[in-house]
Amino acid sequence: MSERSVVIAGTGQVCPVAEDNRSIAEMVLEAVESALSDAGIDHNDIDSVVTASVDIIDGLTASNIAVTEVVGAVMKPETRIAADGLCAAIHAACQIWSGAYDTVLVVAHAKTSMAPFQDLMQWAMDPIYLQPLGVDFLTCAGLQAQLIAAGDPGAERRWAEIAARRINAVSDNLSLTEDDILSSPILASPLRRDMCAPMGDSACAVVLRADTDNKDGRPRISGIGHDLEPHGLGDRDLRSWSGLKRASNRAYTMAGIDDPATAFEVVEPSCLYPHEEQLFLAAAGLDEKANLSLSGGLFSGHAPIVAGLSRLATASKAIEGIDGKALAHGTWGPAGQGQAVIILEGAGA
Amino acid sequence: MIREEKIQIPFNFAAGTSGSRFLTALRDSQVILGAKCNVCTHVTVPLKSFCPSCCSDDLAEMELPAKGRLISWTDCPGRGAFALIQLGDKGPILLHRLIIPPSVMLSELNPGMPVTAHFSDSPKGHISDLQGFVISEK
Repeated sequence: MSERSVVIAGTGQVCPVAEDNRSIAEMVLEAVESALSDAGIDHNDIDSVVTASVDIIDGLTASNIAVTEVVGAVMKPETRIAADGLCAAIHAACQIWSGAYDTVLVVAHAKTSMAPFQDLMQWAMDPIYLQPLGVDFLTCAGLQAQLIAAGDPGAERRWAEIAARRINAVSDNLSLTEDDILSSPILASPLRRDMCAPMGDSACAVVLRADTDNKDGRPRISGIGHDLEPHGLGDRDLRSWSGLKRASNRAYTMAGIDDPATAFEVVEPSCLYPHEEQLFLAAAGLDEKANLSLSGGLFSGHAPIVAGLSRLATASKAIEGIDGKALAHGTWGPAGQGQAVIILEGAGA
Repeated sequence: MIREEKIQIPFNFAAGTSGSRFLTALRDSQVILGAKCNVCTHVTVPLKSFCPSCCSDDLAEMELPAKGRLISWTDCPGRGAFALIQLGDKGPILLHRLIIPPSVMLSELNPGMPVTAHFSDSPKGHISDLQGFVISEK
């Protein structure tokens, strides 16, 4: 690995809400100002910007034009990634490792309240064979969950228990039970409404910086990996996330991690449904003892594209000042087609 | 303030050489075409010009049976049911609509159940010329 370390110098998140009345640019402004303030820098210190957004969610082609000014990209190199924000962070880290830039701002946004999300996601499916049938991401998740549940009669109750735990972790005022989750309506069998992370509007910004001596003690990126599976559900084995297995193995090799099950203080996956936690643990080589989504993960509100970058920001804050490792995960596409992993290493107190 | 809009733009998606051949076979002969990769042996449906597993363009076209078995399914209230269907023994898997007769309960579905393709009476060279797969009645 390069001797040039990449550290998470600052983070800023707009907490997901069901409907944020501000414009996309205003939401991004809050996240960027917060990240720059956390890093103790301003726009003049940023060499390059990497944004993550998806046109169809914004109802706008070249969706980065909505945020060009507010991310400070005017007269600067800007790259837009149309995938999860964690991929944008990987791209930004590579820009720094290559020596091209020293300080890179990574920004992701999604305002899902603007249109029926699953209707939009039909447009992310194959236009000849799947769009006309009305297949969306939720349909694909239901097919994957059912495949895993077959022959496992305890799966639904176990998933309901996981969903209840995540929802209860988000709010002190909630104490849902498995039965509460199992009494919510079916959306795409066997997935019920309360097994699905609620959609939200959100933005997240992360400042990555080259650091040779890491004098600030910020967590550094010690491993990266991303991977894609085929688009068609029939062309892959939906019983596992093999893309995540390859992505995490690349990241573990780079970070020098031999035993992932005991490696991490904090694990922040982008799981929208409890069956995805099961897929995540198996593919990432983790077990039930992993410190997973302790603050509820995406059950606090799922803004696609933002999700992975927000996991990175949350994981980074969790190990700031401690001598421990964290894993952040992002996914995009139907049934976990795209997968990305970043490993962070704390610098100690 | 919110500006309300409904995005509606005419659009022409190209099915491509293989896709057109697949849709033509569906329309004219009620035949489902797939392919087997001569390099990695991956089987796929619908017919493609390249292997989704190894990227090879050396594929052998296959006529697939109109009967298969249920691999997975999902019921989406208000939107109908969808399924992954394996066409033939060790054949490729197709995602399509699942047609559940009134006599069959959702809870009675099991992996491996036999299903049969149901074709449209007025085909037009569209994926819906195959209307879905019907669960065999008890």
